[in-house]
Amino acid sequence: MLERGKIDSKQAVFLMIALVLPTAVLTVPSVVAKLASQDAWLSVIVATLVGLLIARLVVSLSLRFPGKTLFEYAEEILGRVPGKVVGLLYIWWFLHTNAFILDEFGAFLGITILPDTPFLVFFIAGTFVAAYAVRSGLEVLVRYNQLFLPLILGLLCVIFILSAKDMKVARLLPVLDTGLVPILKGAAVPVSWLGENVTFAMIIPFLNRPKEAYRVAARAVLITGFFLLVSVLVSLAVFGPNLTRAWIFPAYNAVRVVSIANFLERLEAAVVAVWMLGGFAKIGVFYYAAVLGSAQLLGLKNYRPLVAPVGVILVALALLCENTVVLFDFLGRVFPPYALVFELGIPLVLLIVALAGGKGGKKS
Amino acid sequence: MIALLVLLFIGIILFEVPGLVKKKMWRELAAFSVFLAIGMALSIPQALGATLPNPMKAIEALFGPLAELLK
Repeated sequence: MLERGKIDSKQAVFLMIALVLPTAVLTVPSVVAKLASQDAWLSVIVATLVGLLIARLVVSLSLRFPGKTLFEYAEEILGRVPGKVVGLLYIWWFLHTNAFILDEFGAFLGITILPDTPFLVFFIAGTFVAAYAVRSGLEVLVRYNQLFLPLILGLLCVIFILSAKDMKVARLLPVLDTGLVPILKGAAVPVSWLGENVTFAMIIPFLNRPKEAYRVAARAVLITGFFLLVSVLVSLAVFGPNLTRAWIFPAYNAVRVVSIANFLERLEAAVVAVWMLGGFAKIGVFYYAAVLGSAQLLGLKNYRPLVAPVGVILVALALLCENTVVLFDFLGRVFPPYALVFELGIPLVLLIVALAGGKGGKKS
Repeated sequence: MIALLVLLFIGIILFEVPGLVKKKMWRELAAFSVFLAIGMALSIPQALGATLPNPMKAIEALFGPLAELLK
């Protein structure tokens, strides 16, 4: 067994929220408003429903193979060689997605508070902290997250409530003016983000009560969806659709304009804290998935030796992205179909083949 | 820049390799070497100022037609 740690259901819910929310909560409003204008919040509701389906698919697949991760049962379902190929593709996807997360992490800090610092510094800082957590094992990563995620969610609630003064519901009108197609198109990006929950397939074997995985996944997706929805609603109600899509981080700007009694101001520091605390956790989970997956694919007894080299690969991949404009164009346009292959396509094929071949036990 | 990077690689090797050799974990050592070699191949050219082919371009070409739907 490569990982001896066990996590309970509450920790798993927190981990799944951290898996999606930190980068999504600030970037989703702008990307979705580009496609769906003032109906962006409807896109997020659609995306949350699809996210629930993806989470259910991943859990059903994992529970057929108790105690096994995605990399182990892919080999069992498809046979040795095709299973290894699928594993290799997933390692690539975990690494590449993590490089994008690092890019977003750096872009946010670089654009908002540290404009003169080279992105390399953010990449190294993010990777180093995550590497330390990953090397210490799943339980350390999970406990870090258990400590900070409630703080993150609490801070988000407080700052969103404080921006209520600047909101106008009229900016959300007219509802459904753009028609159904833009709303569905707008849902593609949040779906690809909520679908990152496929990484949960690497964590399910370490739940101390795997039977609760369905409830864990559903709860995590609903909470994440709720915060994305609030973030989009706040951005739209404060700025309207045109300004929301013009900014990269509208939710951050919404917090910047909060000024209560000329005293409670400059709350954006809280957003930066949320971003950094959550960013480390999110980078850590994808990092962990890539490293554990590689070790399982190669049949190693210990995944720890791979942590440092994989960190170098991550930083190098993150540096390959030329600039922030290219990054957000890619995330808004190319990332959804690319990610859905891994989030929906491959798991669906695995489940169908497993059902057809009678592989895996009865659902417990 | 390149000197710092070489120092980093020496540091990583000194940090991991003695323990692996002592425990005779050859398979792990081989995997470690392969991953570190990939890391070097990706980072050293960038530190020297060369432009590497960006995988984002390949993925964009692969998923381009589908991505057009999201405009």
